[in-house]
Amino acid sequence: MKHLKALNQKARLLDKAVAEDAVEEVVAMSTVAGCTATVDPGWEVDAFGGVAGLCQPMEADLYGCADPCWWPAQVPDTIISYPDWNKDAPAADKDWRKLDSVFPKDAL
Amino acid sequence: MNIKTTLALSVLLAAAAPAARAVQPGELADNTAAPLIAGREYMVAPNHPNQLNVLDLADNKVLKTCALPDAFGPGSVQISPDRRTAYILNNHFGGIYGIELDTCKVTFSARMSLDAEERAIAVFSVALSPDGKEIYTVQNPSKLHVDRYEVQAPRLAVYKTDAGLDARPARTFPVPRQLSLMQAADDGALYALGPDVYKIDPENGKYEVAVPLLNWKRPGYGAPDVLSAWAMQLSTREFSALYTAPKFKDGQQDLASADFVWGVLSIDLKTGKHEIADFAPLTEIYFTGTRSPANRSHIFTVLNGLRKYDIKAQKLLASASLEHAYYQVNLNRDGSRVYLSGTLQDVAVYDAATLEKIANIRLPGGDMSLSTAQIFVR
Repeated sequence: MKHLKALNQKARLLDKAVAEDAVEEVVAMSTVAGCTATVDPGWEVDAFGGVAGLCQPMEADLYGCADPCWWPAQVPDTIISYPDWNKDAPAADKDWRKLDSVFPKDAL
Repeated sequence: MNIKTTLALSVLLAAAAPAARAVQPGELADNTAAPLIAGREYMVAPNHPNQLNVLDLADNKVLKTCALPDAFGPGSVQISPDRRTAYILNNHFGGIYGIELDTCKVTFSARMSLDAEERAIAVFSVALSPDGKEIYTVQNPSKLHVDRYEVQAPRLAVYKTDAGLDARPARTFPVPRQLSLMQAADDGALYALGPDVYKIDPENGKYEVAVPLLNWKRPGYGAPDVLSAWAMQLSTREFSALYTAPKFKDGQQDLASADFVWGVLSIDLKTGKHEIADFAPLTEIYFTGTRSPANRSHIFTVLNGLRKYDIKAQKLLASASLEHAYYQVNLNRDGSRVYLSGTLQDVAVYDAATLEKIANIRLPGGDMSLSTAQIFVR
């Protein structure tokens, strides 16, 4: 961990857990289990630190990443909060113009 | 897919099927009641908006398209041992559905959430017992309190396949966290992929580590990384996943000077024996790799390119550029053809010997996304 610096609350919790030998309490899941459990940091890079190794074209990967909440910062949470985000756009490479931003509804 | 590709596809489809009209996007094939023929080879491929396509591999055409209940995602399919029913994890990871392939009728359904106060999803985990009488899944529940959510322990849920609609589990057992893909062996043991591979007895819930992965003690290697969302039911009866791992130069275990390699973990579901084998340097990303049923030393890998390696010789044998990324590589029963699926709306077919393209099978509807396609013989 010496090369990593905790920047947010979850990362600080992990640092604290390492110090207390309680990593299992806060460890990130290795597989995605819903958008709130996803810890992917944001814009995606490939294993080599670039973008050439990402899926080509980007649209080929869009629903593969949106369906399991792989890109929680870039697309709406399609598992829980916005399951109908792309219901009128079944083919990402053809229908992407129909995809729109979402905004949280006011609580009553 | 660009205009050139679309035109090329149209020409291919027209040449391959002069008497048939190509199915258009959003349109369902009109022969949902067409029965499958014994001895014939098929592929199932789910896709958006929420449907299950059955492809006839004798002529590489869409035979039928079944509309599915509720909502799509992830579309992880397992085919029953009698090849009559497809069980699909769907509805945003929240339900499993049994679809009778001859009729498209829904014969089984189960919600992962077992009561109104919890929300549970299964992460690509769906498997069938060797006799086809039980379905296994690992459910990850959260308790929905009025003011907060509370993460609960994951559970293995066992359902009877004849339990009908709105089925409840016959048994549940606590299991380790982070389990995803699963396959049952011929002796009934359930192998589940997580940080390590676990062997679970679905009768009593007892489990043990069958193959350490993240915790392997492989001399000269660092911890491997595994990404897999596709539990393929291979004709070779293998449960397999690709890994990448650092291979150190010496005992200093310096990551900066280590070679990173691709390898494949294969568990023989007939015997329970497993094999871990490196086959290539890590120079590009693959999402799946599948060993050939015709030659176990040959493995096909895919993401942005299709590659064919010899595992024993650790040598690249052939390579093909692709029109777009595909997630999943599969082979037909005799290993003569390669089928690429996932991502967009076409299944690409290649000659396994030359990696020359044979066809693009255009699916009605939208993207396959992360769905699992399966090839089987009725």
